[in-house]
Amino acid sequence: MELDTATVTRWLEPLARRPEEIAEVFAEARREAVADWRDGEVIEARAAITEGLSARWRRGAEQRLAFVSRCDEEGVRDVVRAVQKGIGLSPLPVRPIATRESAAAERRLDTDRWVKRLSALFSRHAPRHRFRWTLRDVERLVIPARGGEVAASRRLLSLEGTFTAASRRGDERRNFSFHAPLAESTADELRAELTRAVEPREKPGSCGEGEIDVVLAGGCAAVLFHEILSHPLEAGAESALSGLEQARLAAAELEVRDDPSRLDLFGGYERDDEGVAPKAVKLLDAGRLSGRMTDRSHGPGPSNGHARRGGPEDFPLPRGANVLVAPGHATIEEMIRRLSSGLWIDEIDGGSVELASGRFRLRFPRARRVRRGRLADECGAGLLAGEILPVLRSIDPALGREARPYRALGWCARGGQVVPVQGSSPDLLVRRIAVRSL
Amino acid sequence: MSADHDRLRDQLERRAPGEWELYEKNAESLELDATAGERGTLSRRERGWAARWWSQGSPRFACASSTDGLERALAEASRVETAREAPPEWPTSQSPPRSIPGNVAPPRDVFDELQRLLSAESHGEARLQRLTARRGASAERIVNGRGLDVSFSTTVSDGVALAVGQKGPRVCEGRSVFRWDGEPDLAALARRLADRATLPLSDRPAPIERGELLLEPSVAAALLSRLAPLFCAETLPRWVHRTDLFSAAVTIVDDASADALYDGEGTPTRRIVVVESGRFAARLHDLRSARASGSPPTGHGVRPSYRAAPSAGARRLFFETARPASPRELLASVRRGLFASALTAPARVDFERDRFELEFTGIALLGGRAEGPVAGALARGRLSQLLRRIAALSTDRQFFPMPYPVGAPTVLIERAEFE
Repeated sequence: MELDTATVTRWLEPLARRPEEIAEVFAEARREAVADWRDGEVIEARAAITEGLSARWRRGAEQRLAFVSRCDEEGVRDVVRAVQKGIGLSPLPVRPIATRESAAAERRLDTDRWVKRLSALFSRHAPRHRFRWTLRDVERLVIPARGGEVAASRRLLSLEGTFTAASRRGDERRNFSFHAPLAESTADELRAELTRAVEPREKPGSCGEGEIDVVLAGGCAAVLFHEILSHPLEAGAESALSGLEQARLAAAELEVRDDPSRLDLFGGYERDDEGVAPKAVKLLDAGRLSGRMTDRSHGPGPSNGHARRGGPEDFPLPRGANVLVAPGHATIEEMIRRLSSGLWIDEIDGGSVELASGRFRLRFPRARRVRRGRLADECGAGLLAGEILPVLRSIDPALGREARPYRALGWCARGGQVVPVQGSSPDLLVRRIAVRSL
Repeated sequence: MSADHDRLRDQLERRAPGEWELYEKNAESLELDATAGERGTLSRRERGWAARWWSQGSPRFACASSTDGLERALAEASRVETAREAPPEWPTSQSPPRSIPGNVAPPRDVFDELQRLLSAESHGEARLQRLTARRGASAERIVNGRGLDVSFSTTVSDGVALAVGQKGPRVCEGRSVFRWDGEPDLAALARRLADRATLPLSDRPAPIERGELLLEPSVAAALLSRLAPLFCAETLPRWVHRTDLFSAAVTIVDDASADALYDGEGTPTRRIVVVESGRFAARLHDLRSARASGSPPTGHGVRPSYRAAPSAGARRLFFETARPASPRELLASVRRGLFASALTAPARVDFERDRFELEFTGIALLGGRAEGPVAGALARGRLSQLLRRIAALSTDRQFFPMPYPVGAPTVLIERAEFE
């Protein structure tokens, strides 16, 4: 992305004359490589190279955004003109601009190397499968009317699909989902997750209905906190937690924060989509409701770097990134003993929350029953449901000693905008939560 | 632009002689995002290109927001060896070029009007929290290596509204999507929002365990959209009996000719009767699935965006029936049952296990009369039974964006079980 920052800033200046006005140009260049596998063969290869930029203006309760699917100075001029016209300013004159060749060399996606590596992994661990592998390289640039430009980039890898695994009573189809930023260790981590996912299991029975004690293990409690804390504490959201600042909502042992600066997690970033450096925000501090995730338009207080956009065609919204639950001291054996009787769940594959009422639901594909402090038979898919305040109160103070990233959590949709998210959590015991089999 | 187009065509012809397709999309939209205190206006102009080609029998797809980008994406996608698959039978139609139909008018700000109607419908118990309305238009062009060169344009007017109902300390959210082909039907939208946001506040569970189930058009449309993958499936689940998949009262048609002359692969749009008087009559095909099954394509190669490769899917799916009844007649025919006004969770269907679940809020019915609200009920069981127990369809068909248009009237289902 080659934009002349000084020129763009000059064009933006008339849009942000007053201190309460926000004006910026946001640009994104995105490259994606996708490979679809079926039973050991790549059945289709895809590549996408897309660019786009938008100009945004905001004053008080009014905001405007204009988007074009190009990323050059002519595009900037178009979108700035559109916004200027929209708010009654005289627009920039139409003037052709010389096209500048991009000087930066494109980073290779290494698709072929990944395909070879994954083919070997699948044939060894899950030879019957339908997987989609995606590698995304996203560069973002924010040029504000005041202050310098800010650029950031991320490389994100996803593997999603189904495979046939052996169970003790015949083959069964299982879902698999893995999302991680690209790093040296990503391939090893993926191999470990897939190896764990293909382990033989018993044929599941029904998980039953009613209120039951549940341990959320393997990091999957991150999905619970994503729904019941991250979403309600996005600034501007009217929720069941509104007006409860500093109230004691959970055991003092519970510490939850949202930290976009954890770049080892899928939801991490160096700068948010308004160009602000992100700060970790305490959501629950010793069980008390603490901060909110803010952007430049939605307080309280200044932005803590949580403005996020699905793409340049969207307004930024305050959103969660990586929800982190601090570990405690309990071993797995102690967690099972404390559970005594209930469900041990280490996979959650979906969740939702209704902000106004605080009702949430989480879907799990399978669970393990615990009877008299011992792991017993397996159960099939079910739903956990509850309300935010009662469930926070019913979290046991004993937390697992290790917080683990939950790589199956990767994307979150709100208002039609999908952004990468993730989280990590220790094992956690929730008392008397409603469960229903699916 | 034509020079770019020709350059891309030449490049594709070199890579895969005769076995390629080039797609171009030009779209504009205006969107209004309104809350009680805020207004946001978005204008979007998007151009995109996509190519699909079978190089030595291996399928590949590339897309980009510029022609230069597409050339680089072609190279990137060519790096990976893929399994061989016979290329499709490419269509060869031709049509005159089309551009975006005129200037897109901004959507009218109807927030206050809808708020007034909602307040009246809900007796002051519900308020409008957010309204997003969008108007858009697009022009698409598809050419291929066998001489196809077609263009078509489409327009859209749709959105989503979110309401919050409150009774004492109890609060509930309701969301409703809408699609308008003409003037906004605010009264119907306000009614649906009021039901969704206030009926769950009654706190009254389902008073019966079994009986008739009357589905409001938006609920029936949501169920039909969940069934759509069945109509494109490569292999049908074991429980599907082709001759009586649905009851004889049900006919399901896909016909997007009112929206676009061609599908996303250039196959002419036509009316396909998917289910005829209960019998599974035809599968919806794109070019690849048609080739794989040895059938002719039906014009159902769907591209939700230029970024997605076309795949088989429904485009404008709706219920029909030979013997429609008025909504009043359907209501009068209910001896003991529930009227599902709105879903409180997405409808769930599991084709593999032959199961369905509908969580809804609504009204209890006795002897054809309303007997009071039902906060929440769950209807679940075997999907195969549900489909065969559809007893009647009404005349009040409406279309909803799911995200493609899905049309459903009020639907009566016999012998449902509730929890």
